[in-house]
Amino acid sequence: MSKYAILLILSGIIPLILSFWPPLQFYRNLRALIISLALVIIIFGAWDIFAVWRGHWSFDPQGVWPLRFINLPIEEWLFFIVIPFCCIFTWEALKLIKGKSR
Amino acid sequence: MKEYTLLSILSVFLVLMLDIFLRTNLRKRKLFWFFILVIILFKFIVNGYLTGKNIVIYNPVFFMDLRIGSIPVEDFIFGFSMVTLTIIFWEYFRKQRA
Repeated sequence: MSKYAILLILSGIIPLILSFWPPLQFYRNLRALIISLALVIIIFGAWDIFAVWRGHWSFDPQGVWPLRFINLPIEEWLFFIVIPFCCIFTWEALKLIKGKSR
Repeated sequence: MKEYTLLSILSVFLVLMLDIFLRTNLRKRKLFWFFILVIILFKFIVNGYLTGKNIVIYNPVFFMDLRIGSIPVEDFIFGFSMVTLTIIFWEYFRKQRA
């Protein structure tokens, strides 16, 4: 397992489990979730492809799997799913907390 | 201005314009800015690890090499755009259904 992959698993595991918690009910908005994540991966994936092609940044071969899609490591693609998911989870959790405190 | 610096700033403008255009108006909500603060805390862990362990290596030709800890300033701007865009889409498509 690469360092980057472990980081993604540790980032996403708790939000993923808690997203099934009844008050959050993520599965009710699965359509919005899928569309949002798809658009973010397309837009920021394109930016990332450009940045790596231009040489803005690169990846340490020791930290990622050798497998690439276009010019990005698989972990970098997964980043654009895991992190936006964590963000939506955090956003919904904050809305829930705010609503309850009233 | 360096390329990554310019692109990251440009992305913030585009994302905020989309917030106006789609009428998600996140920028006007106090909770949104509190959310951004929370995300920055998490960002220090995730992005801090990626940059601190040099999993992602930056080319000084294209960024200012101004860092907070190990994280380039541009990464905070890039991150703000990505996170804000995610929530704009989420709020937009979530309401569209209702």
